[in-house]
Amino acid sequence: MVETQFRILYRQFLFRIVDLELLSGQGEISKLLGQFASLLVFLGMMFSFPLWALTGAGTSAQTRLITSWGLEHFLIATTMLVLGLFAVLSWDSMFPDQRDVLVLAPLPVRASTLFLAKVAAIATGLAVSVAALDVLPGLPAPLAFVPLSSGLLGLPRSFAAYWITMFAAGAFIFCCVLVVQGLAAQMLPRRHFLRVSSFLQITAFCVFVSTYFLQPSLASPEAITAAQNQHWLACLPSYWFLGLFQQLNGSMQPALAPLALRGWLGLAIAGCGAAALYSVSYFRMLGRVAEEPDIVPGFRCLRWLPRLGGQLETAIGHFSIRTLLRSRKHRLILAFYLGIGLALTILFVGLLDALEQPGVASVTHLWRHPNAGMLVSSVVMMFFAVLGTRVGFAMPLDLTANWIFRVTPVGGLTECLPANRRALLVLAVAPVWVGSAVIFLWLWPWWPAAGHLTVLAILGIVAAEVTLAGFRKIPFTCSYLPGKSNLHLTFWLCVSAFGLLVDQGAVLELHALRHTASYSIMIAILLAAAGLARRRTTLMTESEALEFEDAPPPAIMGLGLHQD
Amino acid sequence: MLELRNVCKRFPAVTAVDNVSFSARPGEVTGYLGPNGSGKSTTLKMITGLIGMTSGEILFDGAPIHRDLLKYKRRFGYVPEEPHLYSHLTGLEYLVMVGQLRRLPFKRSADRIDGLLQLLGLHGSRHSPLSAYSKGMRQKVLLSAALLHNPDLILLDEPFSGLDVASALVLRNLLKEMARHGKMVMLSSHELETVERVCTRVVILHRAKVVADDSIERLRTLMALPTLEDIFSQLAVEQDPVSISHQIVDLIVA
Repeated sequence: MVETQFRILYRQFLFRIVDLELLSGQGEISKLLGQFASLLVFLGMMFSFPLWALTGAGTSAQTRLITSWGLEHFLIATTMLVLGLFAVLSWDSMFPDQRDVLVLAPLPVRASTLFLAKVAAIATGLAVSVAALDVLPGLPAPLAFVPLSSGLLGLPRSFAAYWITMFAAGAFIFCCVLVVQGLAAQMLPRRHFLRVSSFLQITAFCVFVSTYFLQPSLASPEAITAAQNQHWLACLPSYWFLGLFQQLNGSMQPALAPLALRGWLGLAIAGCGAAALYSVSYFRMLGRVAEEPDIVPGFRCLRWLPRLGGQLETAIGHFSIRTLLRSRKHRLILAFYLGIGLALTILFVGLLDALEQPGVASVTHLWRHPNAGMLVSSVVMMFFAVLGTRVGFAMPLDLTANWIFRVTPVGGLTECLPANRRALLVLAVAPVWVGSAVIFLWLWPWWPAAGHLTVLAILGIVAAEVTLAGFRKIPFTCSYLPGKSNLHLTFWLCVSAFGLLVDQGAVLELHALRHTASYSIMIAILLAAAGLARRRTTLMTESEALEFEDAPPPAIMGLGLHQD
Repeated sequence: MLELRNVCKRFPAVTAVDNVSFSARPGEVTGYLGPNGSGKSTTLKMITGLIGMTSGEILFDGAPIHRDLLKYKRRFGYVPEEPHLYSHLTGLEYLVMVGQLRRLPFKRSADRIDGLLQLLGLHGSRHSPLSAYSKGMRQKVLLSAALLHNPDLILLDEPFSGLDVASALVLRNLLKEMARHGKMVMLSSHELETVERVCTRVVILHRAKVVADDSIERLRTLMALPTLEDIFSQLAVEQDPVSISHQIVDLIVA
């Protein structure tokens, strides 16, 4: 009886890690999970190429040692990032919600069975994520990392060390998230916990992304032993697990011993802390959910918002602003893109540090003059803000409530496009532009600042138009059908193309800001691009109906060769 | 006038609505009755344009509704069976949004929203998110949203669900009052006593087909039965309720 209950609950909890309510009627959760898994496997495949190169016969022992440390650390840090993101994404499914309690409490199911099923589901999600990401690098990694003088048992030991380290690193970061959630659940009343929880989630997310992108590269024997780096090494868990791997692998160097010890201690503390706090909080919360339902904490802000044009534009614009700001799921999607954008921005701005020479110029001095790093940073932020907001638009909230848009005289897509356009401009383009205006007008002389802000505004409009092309929905009202696009390929192709474009564009803009004629030509070209993008988007929506249900692509594609 | 002519809705495995024809006239409250699964909600969804018909015609003031769906949508208000609302919005924000979607002038919309919230006892909680509203409060928000634009046709699917006694009495009188003002009111409900008090005429659906369409008074006379409940039982209830209840008890105590 208990085993059957466990099996049923385990399956339910496992599939509830993803929010099922956003899926289209034809969407399958297995397909969505398969898409996530394939994305991880694809990433893993990319990581495995340098590992195969390292196993080649022509590599010298010294090169191999230095390169292997860098690769080992990269794989560990990436595994920790992915598991950190997994923990943040499954944040809401860690603890029982009101639906769980209302459905399951009247049934003769023990609380311990519920707890064990939840833990098993979380552990499965964790294991599958690590396995999907690390399975392909896991083939060449033991070969690449095996110590040269390790003998026959070296390879299986290296294999075991690889997987133990990856699972340990993933479990560590996951347990840290559980500890934070457990502490908040223990210390705060449920109402306040719900309020604080969303801020903690976003904070955890930002910490993971920024740490991954901004942590210094110290994975070499010289950097590990350098006195000035010891503080960093003590603070960065990915290096602890590098030490742990070296210890398990049998290739331990004395400088790594303290890091390995930190790794073991960190894992033990996080594991024990998570086990204790999570179990206590789970049972405590189970009792409280029924007493204190999941009422969204009251919000006093955003009662008044400015009009955004006509009635329809205002209705859709206000609905979009409120949804994006109040829905945790959508905030998280936006934070993901903004996090990547911010990390890249800090990287570009950080390049200015490298230019600092004693007695030549200070960083502040460099910032006060037009430079490619700051130009690229603002454009990158604009691009990721528009992209993140547009992706958020495609994910529904309270899908069953969209009937109100279907029974009111909203009109077709032609009428909704201006509203969608305005919502995207207000939510994505305007905040980045205003933030950039403050920074550029403060740091730069007025002309290059104003010149770049004009370029940035036009680029924002172009990005908004390009992302709205083919968008046949009212934001947040259409179901989501996974598996329609080759997400992993498209994403990396777009990022690569964008990287090239923006890099070259910044050089051109820097030149144009110094020459009025070039600047005028540049503005004319950008305005023409914006006009074309707008025309294309408008043409693509003409005579199209609004979609409220994401449909699969047709099995047979018409070529449109007929003539009326 | 709203008129349905031989309306059918077939899903792959089932015919939900089969050749249904009836009309709802201005100044009347038309009751739309039927057991669970008989096709009431499907019919109302077809009338609102939420789902399409397989065959047949729905006419409003003599013109097919799909000829100018936008114009038609401006003239009806709809209270759905389930109170699905955007729970992250407050009651006030939701109603303001509906007013804007219906392109009501700002002042008129604000005045009506304020008045409706006051009259329906929601004014004190207008700034609370809809997720904190009880089922009855959500039902009142739906009702307010349906009446906001002074529609000519009001479609209500189980509107009494979740309402307290006082609110149900208000709604009952409101429907009669709306009909007195020349509105077409179409009410789908399982509460036969309420339907009997409110509706001028009833359409009874059984197994996706219309089995009765007349005034309650005439049905009573024709079928020689004293109440609407008796009429409904005779036309649409196949099982003997007493026998079924005995069988259920036998099953669970066995």
